[in-house]
Amino acid sequence: MIKFFHVVAIGGLIASATYAYTIKYETLYHGEQLAKLKQRSQKEREAIAVLKAEWQHLNRPDRLQMLSERHLALQPLAATQLVRFSDIPARAPKVDDIGRKLEALGLGDDLPTASIGRPALSATTAQPVRTAPQTTPQPPRPPQRPQ
Amino acid sequence: MMPTTPEQSATIDSPSRRRPVSGFVRSLFSMSKDKSEARVGLIMLCFCALFLTLSGRVLYLAMGSEEPVGLRRATADATSAARPDIIDRNGEVLATDVRSVSVFAEPRKILDKDEAVELLTAVLPDLNAKDLRDRFERRRGFVWVKREITPRQQAEVHRLGIPGVGFVPENKRVYPNGTAAAHVLGFANIDNIGIAGIEKYIDQKGLIDPTGAGLNASTRDLAPVQLSIDLRVQHALRDELTIGMARFKAKAAAGSIIDVNTGEVVATVSLPDFDPSNQADALDPNRINRINVGVFEMGSTFKALTVAMALDSGRFNVNSTFDARSALRYGRHTINDFHAKNRIMTVPEVFIYSSNIGTARMALQLGVEHHRNFLRRAGQLDRLRTELPESAEPIVPGRWGELNTMTIAFGHGLAVAPLQAAMATAALMNGGNLIPPTFIKRSEEQAKAVATRLVKPETSEAMRYVMRLNAERGSAGKAAVPGFYVGGKTGTAEKVVNGRYSKTRLFTTFMAVAPSDKPRYLFMTIYDEPQGLPETQGFATSGWNASPTTGRIIERVAPLLGISPRFEAPDRPFPLMARVGAWGTR
Repeated sequence: MIKFFHVVAIGGLIASATYAYTIKYETLYHGEQLAKLKQRSQKEREAIAVLKAEWQHLNRPDRLQMLSERHLALQPLAATQLVRFSDIPARAPKVDDIGRKLEALGLGDDLPTASIGRPALSATTAQPVRTAPQTTPQPPRPPQRPQ
Repeated sequence: MMPTTPEQSATIDSPSRRRPVSGFVRSLFSMSKDKSEARVGLIMLCFCALFLTLSGRVLYLAMGSEEPVGLRRATADATSAARPDIIDRNGEVLATDVRSVSVFAEPRKILDKDEAVELLTAVLPDLNAKDLRDRFERRRGFVWVKREITPRQQAEVHRLGIPGVGFVPENKRVYPNGTAAAHVLGFANIDNIGIAGIEKYIDQKGLIDPTGAGLNASTRDLAPVQLSIDLRVQHALRDELTIGMARFKAKAAAGSIIDVNTGEVVATVSLPDFDPSNQADALDPNRINRINVGVFEMGSTFKALTVAMALDSGRFNVNSTFDARSALRYGRHTINDFHAKNRIMTVPEVFIYSSNIGTARMALQLGVEHHRNFLRRAGQLDRLRTELPESAEPIVPGRWGELNTMTIAFGHGLAVAPLQAAMATAALMNGGNLIPPTFIKRSEEQAKAVATRLVKPETSEAMRYVMRLNAERGSAGKAAVPGFYVGGKTGTAEKVVNGRYSKTRLFTTFMAVAPSDKPRYLFMTIYDEPQGLPETQGFATSGWNASPTTGRIIERVAPLLGISPRFEAPDRPFPLMARVGAWGTR
C-alpha cells in the first residue's frame, strides 16, 4: 500500500515538475515574442514619424509654391472667381435634345425604339411616350438587337 | 563541551531566570535521545524561516518594477526628452520628433583608448581626436562620442567592434516647414529642451516626457499641442511681406493676422527670420520677433485709440467738431498736420485726414489722467504676456504731462509692442471686448471668458465706420481690395535717431479690418525704414507701402480664412451712424 503511495507521489512529482518547466519555457517564449513585437511596433511607429515629417517637408507651402510657379501655368485665385452658392443660377430643366430632333424629323411616336424603354402596359394605353424621358431622366436601356 | 557565551555570564547574576534558559540551551546540545525532538523542531523552524525569506525575496524581485540600473540610468539621464508634436490649427505638422541614434562610450571598459580614438575619428571624421581622447580620460561611466549620427555611420561604428562603445536611440526635433512660423515655434536644443517660443512654453507647462527617447517612452503618449497658426495663411503672409520688403528696400518687415472675435493669432511673421533647425541664426539681434519683442512708436494707427476714447467718454459724439485751423502750440512745441486741411473738422474727418491737431485736442480736453487710465485699460502700458516666453515692456514716459498726452494721442512718445497695439485695435473693432491674444487654438466661448470690456458696442461701430470711411475716402485706399469691405488706418512714425525724430527714417504701420460691417480678422503690416520709390512719387509713408501690401495680403488670404467676397455694398452696414447722420453718411 505504502509502495503504491510512493509511486503515486513520485509520479505526481515528476508530472508537476514537467508541467512547471513547460509553463516556464512557454512563458519565456511568449515573453520573447512580446518583446519582439513591441520592438517591431516601435520601429514602425518611428518609421511613420519619419514619413510624416518627410511628407510635411515635401508639402511645405513654400516648396509647393516654387514647384507650381515652375511647372504649372496657374495664377493666384482672384476674389472675382469666388461665387456664393446663392449666386449660382438654378439648374435648367433637362431637355431631351435627341427626342426633339427626332420629332423635328417627323419620327415622333411611331418610332419603334420609343416603346422599348417603357413597360408594355403604357405602350398599349395611348400615353404620350416621348414626354416621359423629358421629365424623368431614366437610364437609357441598350437597344434590343433585332433577331 | 558546553560553550560559555557572554549571555550566560550575564545571566548568572539573576538566578531566578538562569534556570530555564540555561536548561533549554543545555538540552539542545545534549546528546541524549529524548531531546532530539526539540532539536528537530528548531532545525525545522530555521529552515522555514530561511525558505520564507527566500520566497519573499523572489516575490519582491518578481513584482518590483524594473529600475534602470547602471548604464541604463546613465543613458536615460543623458538622452533627450520626448516632446509632443506641434500642429497648426488644421492639423498640419509644424514640429515633430524623429528617432536618431547617438554613439556613447564607457571609458572604463575601453581597453585601448588610443586605438579607440583612432578608429572612431576615422569613421566619424568631424570628431576632434584630442577632445575625444580627453573625454575618454575622464573617470566617468558614460560619455557621448557623437550625437545624432546617420544609419550609415552607425553601421560603420558597429563594424569597428570597439568594446565599451555603444549606441542609444534618441529623439531629434525636426521642423519640416523651414522658416514658417519660426518665431512662434522657437526651437529645442540637442537635448530636446525648449529654448525659445512655444517649445519653451511646452517645457514650462511640463508637457514633455523627460524619461527620454529610445527606452520605452515615445511621443505617442503625448497629446499634440495645437496652435492658432494657419500654415497656409502664415506662408502667404510671409511671401507677400518678403516681396514687399524687397520692393520697398525696408530693413525689416512684420505682419500679423488676428481673429478679432477669439484673439487667436492666425499668422505672424517678422522678417528677417530664421530656420529653427539652424539655431545659430536665431541669436542674431536683427532677427528678433518685431511683433512682440520689439517696442515701437506706432504712429497714427494709435489715433484709433484716441478717437475711441473720446467717443466712449460720452463728452464727444461722432458729430463733435475740433478746431484744426492752425497748428497747435504748447510751450515751445508746435503740432502740425501732415495732410493739413486748416479748418474745423468732425470726428470722422479728424480720423480720415489723420489730424494730429484734432486727436491732440481730443486727448487734451479729456485730460492726462483719463488718457492714461484708458490706455492702461487697453493694455498699452503694461507688458503683454502671451504663451511666447519672449515679451517686451512698453516704454512709457516717466513724467506724463500734457505734452505727452498730446503726442501719445497721435502715436508718438509711447512705444508698445505691435501685438499689443493690434490687441487694442481688435477690441475697438469686435464690439468693444479686449481679448488677450493667444498662439494656442481657442474657441469663441473661451475667448469670452477672458475678455474684458474696453469700449461700448456703439463706439465700436463708430470706429468700424471711420475705418471703412478711411478706406473709401482716406489714406487707406490702396488696401481696399474690392469684395471684402476692408477698413483701415495708416500710421507713419518717425524713428528716433540720436535723440531726435528723423524725417527720413520712418516706421510705417497699417491696421486693417475685414469685413468692416461684421469684423472677423485684423491685419497688421509693419515696415521698418521703407524707401520711397519712383512709382510711389518718392513717398515712404504707410499709405504707399504698408497699405498696398496689406491689400495684397487680404486679397490672397481672405478666401483661405473663409471670408466670402461680396461685390454689392452691404445693406445698412452702420445703422447707428446713418441714424445720427455722421459725416460721410450723406
